[in-house]
Amino acid sequence: MAAPAGSRPGWSRKAQYSLFFGLVAAIGGLVVGLILLVLSLLAPSAYAGIRGAALDVTAPVTGALNEVVVTAQGIVGGAGDYWNAAEQNASLKRERTAMRRQIIRAKAVLQENAQLKAALGLREKTSQAVAVGRIVGSSFESSRRFGILSVGRGDGVMPGMPVRTADGLVGRVIEAGSSAARVLLVSDRSNIVPARLLRGGVPVISTGRGDGTIDVRPLEVGRNPFKRGDIIVTSGTGGLYPPLVPIARIVRLDDDGALAVPLADPAQSSFAIVERAFEPAALAVAGTPANR
Amino acid sequence: MARSALSSKQGAFKGGAVSAASYIPAATVVAASALSLLPIVSVTGWWPNAGFLMLIAWRLLRIDPWPAWWAAPLGFINDLLTGAPIGLSVTLWSAVMLAMEFVDSRTQWRDYWVEWAIATILITADCWFDWQIAGLMGAPVPFLHIVPAIVLSMFAFPIAAMIVARLDRWRFGR
Repeated sequence: MAAPAGSRPGWSRKAQYSLFFGLVAAIGGLVVGLILLVLSLLAPSAYAGIRGAALDVTAPVTGALNEVVVTAQGIVGGAGDYWNAAEQNASLKRERTAMRRQIIRAKAVLQENAQLKAALGLREKTSQAVAVGRIVGSSFESSRRFGILSVGRGDGVMPGMPVRTADGLVGRVIEAGSSAARVLLVSDRSNIVPARLLRGGVPVISTGRGDGTIDVRPLEVGRNPFKRGDIIVTSGTGGLYPPLVPIARIVRLDDDGALAVPLADPAQSSFAIVERAFEPAALAVAGTPANR
Repeated sequence: MARSALSSKQGAFKGGAVSAASYIPAATVVAASALSLLPIVSVTGWWPNAGFLMLIAWRLLRIDPWPAWWAAPLGFINDLLTGAPIGLSVTLWSAVMLAMEFVDSRTQWRDYWVEWAIATILITADCWFDWQIAGLMGAPVPFLHIVPAIVLSMFAFPIAAMIVARLDRWRFGR
């Protein structure tokens, strides 16, 4: 780097040294940064401790602020509901009768299903909830899509565990502090979920696009199997995610795949459920850097 | 740095408030990094990186807001707060200090438009590097997806610059 023409250090030894060491220190910072970054890339688990601790310190702040926002939204939303109560009441009643009919039909199907499974000798794997928390924050400053979950190792949450809401899949835990965890959302580019179409069961692959939507491609090339409004669900392949958890709804078709929007909106859903990995053996693989 | 090494330490400060006033720039950068703790659950990641904007706004306003090597620890704090890969901001922010040293040595004068142009270049470089690292970490999104983030940061820079200018006036009691 050329010394600035206008202000040479001159003959002052002290000023020359001060300038020189300032530059050396900045270059030193750059080198240290590069080493840290390379370590981040090659062995992310090396930082698990410090990043977990940082999560524990920062997540309560986010959680408390989130509480305020939720309360404010509740007041506004509550007032809005009050405004058109009569109309809402009528439509809710209509919905309820329709729902009741569907529930009866679904119960019958469930019963039949249980009988058939018993006949086949299949053992039902029940998915157990490890912990229930809330998505309190997100990585809104970067192209990666992460959420901050308000439960951590202290509640039994471990990296690799799937996270869902009542609506659908949110993602999986990638870092866990003792009281908070970071979740890789399904809309992140690196989150690849083996899935299938609910209608017909065609196997597909769901990949996040980094902007809140999901890219869905069929496993077998050929005819585009998607229709607008189709629901895709997890297939359970790979063992990380339990099968039959809804992921997304198709909104647009393209050449050989489709664009989908996640069903579980982390911004809207109040509670997120952390479940055990479907096959515990998959957890060991999920923790390796290549899958981060 | 070059010029700060030449000027006497007390030159820019008035009287006794030296120590407190000289920590304000770094403290505001940390505070801006902490904005990532806001409970915003966004599906896109287009919000500007407030810590980085404050850093370049201070460095563009003054030659010596902090000793050059402070950029590394400040970047480390930013990495921890925002959840970026550790080392990303340490590297980038140190590089920004060196790049600004170069810019200072080559520019005779700077008006507001030149500063904005330099900030835009730094922001683009920051986003590009961030994007490259995301790609290496298994999330290679198309570059077009981060263009909105760059544009938003570009337009957020004048706000950061305004805040920094006011803080700078306030810290010297002017």
